[in-house]
Amino acid sequence: MLAQAAIAAAVLLVLAGSLGLLLTIASRRLAVAVDPLEGALMALLPGANCGGCGFPGCRAYARALAGHEVPPDRCTVGGPAVGRRLAARLGTGAVTPAWPRRPVVHCGAVTAQRRGRGRYLGPATCAEMDAVAGVQGCSWGCLGEGDCVAACAYGAMRLEEGLPRIDYDRCVGCGACVQACPREVIESIPWKRDRMLVVACRNHDPGRSVRDVCDVGCLGCGRCSRALPELFRIEGDLAVIDYDRYEAEDDIEEAAALDRIREQCPMKSLVLLGPPPASVAEPDDGEPHEAAVVRAPPRPDVDDLDWRG
Amino acid sequence: MTEIAELVSIAFAAAIVSNPVLTWFLGICPFLGVSRRLDTAFGMGAAVTFVVTVAATLTFLVQRWVLAPAGLEVLQYVAFILVIAATVQLVELWIRRFQPDLHEAFGAFLPLITSNCMILGTCLLIWLRGHDTLPRAVVYAAASGVGFTLALVLMAGLREELEEADVPGPFQGAPITLIVAGILALAFMGFAGMGRA
Repeated sequence: MLAQAAIAAAVLLVLAGSLGLLLTIASRRLAVAVDPLEGALMALLPGANCGGCGFPGCRAYARALAGHEVPPDRCTVGGPAVGRRLAARLGTGAVTPAWPRRPVVHCGAVTAQRRGRGRYLGPATCAEMDAVAGVQGCSWGCLGEGDCVAACAYGAMRLEEGLPRIDYDRCVGCGACVQACPREVIESIPWKRDRMLVVACRNHDPGRSVRDVCDVGCLGCGRCSRALPELFRIEGDLAVIDYDRYEAEDDIEEAAALDRIREQCPMKSLVLLGPPPASVAEPDDGEPHEAAVVRAPPRPDVDDLDWRG
Repeated sequence: MTEIAELVSIAFAAAIVSNPVLTWFLGICPFLGVSRRLDTAFGMGAAVTFVVTVAATLTFLVQRWVLAPAGLEVLQYVAFILVIAATVQLVELWIRRFQPDLHEAFGAFLPLITSNCMILGTCLLIWLRGHDTLPRAVVYAAASGVGFTLALVLMAGLREELEEADVPGPFQGAPITLIVAGILALAFMGFAGMGRA
């Protein structure tokens, strides 16, 4: 009895030992050299794995950076601060890091202000609603089923009266909502100031058609583009702000001009959105700090087994 | 029956008649977890098929040349778990070194497979069913992997359709998934009795 137990233990020990030895040898012989630069860059990135840079995670972006395949300004979560640190580590010197990007909703109509809403009994997602004719008079604007809210991993969006509102303190700018919206109502813009001026409409149709379907849509009257032609342009009866020319510095005169235009807009379609993401406000001392590390809230490691059907 | 016919019969039985997922309830976790999209379901299935074939070959050899001569069949479970865990590790190292593209594709699946009970189940079932030659054991394991892939891919196809369906409130989410899985398993009962179990 005892002898058999001893044999059993010995066999297992030998088996485990030889497997362990095999694995040890294999891990030496089959070791893959990882670029140390990649690890260093990885440490500088926020680690949110949000995909806002266009890569499937921070590690993939760090690898591309280490191979000098992409510029170091792609991280939307970290913004300019992280961009500068990456550039310094890469030794590429002065790059103008991108502004942090944040989503804005180009629609200002709550459900009650949208005309021509038909009865819709299909699945409650914007993607499917969008495929059905006659669900809503405005074929440009928000449908209000909240695909964007469902896409947000950071709990930064909520629906209010059928219109998504963004909590900019929580938003990291990953762009998931931008991709979720079937009508491209949400746009990711360079966030240059504490609060950004946004045209809360995306309807390119002529003013008369807009009035037919919406109480608050932009008519394309051109009042804003006449007053500030360098900032506004009219694209097919819709006012569009050129964010490349949006001034980053707080210019009193310009701020006053923008306020005036906001007052003058006949449909009150120009709105200020904010508050700012912290990375704009805080001074960048060149040192990585805790605030730059953002993590998505934990998700079930398997699937989230829920449909909003 | 000739040996070839026997092998075909074993493969058919392992993949369809006694499908590891739908009749033996092995590997239910990935069956429900990784069956949301067709491409990931297929990737998981391919990875499992690969690993189960390799693991079954090795555990067969361990049983035949180490455990059986020493009269230590009681140690089957422990020894097999050891061998499977080491195999998965080794396979991952190997793939990462020589097939980086494949590693990229299998990615997260490989470590998950270590704890997949379908692998251990297949390695044990080989002996319970008496597939006691190496070719039979390997064919049985590979066919089990194919059966697993089949179940996953079928489920993923159904779930992709389900996303579009108008499911009544109380059944949304996990309940309808489990009901669909149950009906799918019932459908596979139609094969019962064909070939050897």
